Amino acid sequence: MTLSLDLGFVALTDAAPLIVARARGLFAAEGLDVSLHREVSWATIRDKLAAGLFQGAHLLGPLAIAARLGAGSEPVGLIAPMSLNAHGAAIGVSAQLASQMEGTGPLGLARAAARRLGRGEAPIVFATVFPYSMHSYMLRYWVASAGLDPDRDIRIVTAPPTGIVERLSSGEIDGFCVGAPWGAMCEAQCGARIILEAAEFWPGGPDKVLGVSESWAAREQAAMQAMLRALLRASVWADAPENAGELASLLATPDYLSAPPGLIAKRLGEAENGLRFSRQGTSLPWRSHAAWIFSQMLRWGQADRDTAPALALDCYRPDLFRAAAADIGLALPLADSKAEGAHDGDWSLPGSPGPIAMSRDAFFDGAPFDPDSVRDYAAGFAITRLTR
Amino acid sequence: MRLLLVDPDPARAALVAEGLAEVRPLDLRRTSSLDEKELLAFKPDLIIVACDSPDRDTLEGLREATHANPRPIVMFVDRSEPGLAEEAVRAGVAAYIVDGLQPGRVRSILEVAMSRFQLMQQLRTDLAKAQSDLASRKTVERAKGLLMKERQVGEEEAYAILRKLAMNSGRSVGAVAADLLSFHGVLRGDKP
Repeated sequence: MTLSLDLGFVALTDAAPLIVARARGLFAAEGLDVSLHREVSWATIRDKLAAGLFQGAHLLGPLAIAARLGAGSEPVGLIAPMSLNAHGAAIGVSAQLASQMEGTGPLGLARAAARRLGRGEAPIVFATVFPYSMHSYMLRYWVASAGLDPDRDIRIVTAPPTGIVERLSSGEIDGFCVGAPWGAMCEAQCGARIILEAAEFWPGGPDKVLGVSESWAAREQAAMQAMLRALLRASVWADAPENAGELASLLATPDYLSAPPGLIAKRLGEAENGLRFSRQGTSLPWRSHAAWIFSQMLRWGQADRDTAPALALDCYRPDLFRAAAADIGLALPLADSKAEGAHDGDWSLPGSPGPIAMSRDAFFDGAPFDPDSVRDYAAGFAITRLTR
Repeated sequence: MRLLLVDPDPARAALVAEGLAEVRPLDLRRTSSLDEKELLAFKPDLIIVACDSPDRDTLEGLREATHANPRPIVMFVDRSEPGLAEEAVRAGVAAYIVDGLQPGRVRSILEVAMSRFQLMQQLRTDLAKAQSDLASRKTVERAKGLLMKERQVGEEEAYAILRKLAMNSGRSVGAVAADLLSFHGVLRGDKP
């Protein structure tokens, strides 16, 4: 029997697993009749998941956790049974701001920001896609590393990816942190300069997940597993360098990203800073990723200090991923959590049937993250809203 | 009460405004895209935003950035209004109230907006159906004309042929007529 499902997505390269599974018949092979719905706002995706209009969606990992904690909305029982990608997001600045910065480091930005405030001018404005996003946490971490307070010394506004291109052209914003391919679009259309890629900030770090209603997943266990099998197969296909050209052409079409295939292709295949969909354990919803996201929610005052970390961590459901991945014979890491940012070179992750070859995962500033010390980590930054 | 309606679809926004014309006192302002300076100057008590507006996330961001906003924006639908959030999103709207407003009057206003959004959806669906019905009738007429010319039959018989083809293939007369016309074009040498 065929089951009809409605899934939401936003026009971004990392929606690839959903788009590939639909376009290449992988959902249909699992007996699922899937309609994909493109949305222009993450808040609407969250609300449609909560209202049961969508059974699943392409979602910001931090938004899944925030919804569960009731941050920014009433609490919504969302879970993330799969990660969709690593890499793709990038921080960029306008050509004008680039010319005012010495170099591309955060200190260059700090000096430019200080000069502007010193002259009594309006602060530097950055746009990100949502308050609860890796884009927001990456930008905040990066500017704070140079002693800039992201809520005081610069301004951060929220705009949808396509809106970021427009606002940069009109001079309304000076910089951005946005997912692929829109950073490349800002470069191509407005002469923006990309200064930090997610792959440089934190190689292999989290980004988008598959968001699903917890009650739906509990009620429709067979459909949940069928959806995951199709998406995991799609991720393997999307990851293969030989499919990069075809993937870029598929994503570029008007129904999906409606963007130039050349710009999409720049971050696919074997590109050094390219997106990962499947390799190196990317599809596993790592509990240590959820823990890092929660640490940033504490750091920036988005989560109450007394919130039990388990409430956030339980959003990520590696158990559901494992069942589907084992069904289709994917290599599985043995643990659900790992020390993050601990490897400055190639390393080996214990897995089944054998170890999984991993590359470096160190943060750009070299600071490691121990998922068992979330509060200490969040309180340990020079700029943080969390006191010990 | 000041209401800001953010809707990229001006026709739909006009329909909502007309529905709210009875509500007094209400200072309603419509915009197709959000401008933060305008928002701060207007100081709305209630913001209704279409779910298909890309400004929704911008509003969510403003809600976080309370330093930029002396009057914090909060999500309107809370636990005291069970099911209203789902109803609203089904109708295609979201609402935010600015802190300090009594939610009592909001529900009736939101209900007008929801019903107008649904009405617009219905009107658009009806229009699309009427247009496709009209196109289908024209196609059938042309296919009949073609059969009458090629097969040297009368109008009634031409229609009977189309109906028989439709019945045999389990498709509509309109679809069979469209096929016939396009195949005839190909046989005549038109580019498919």
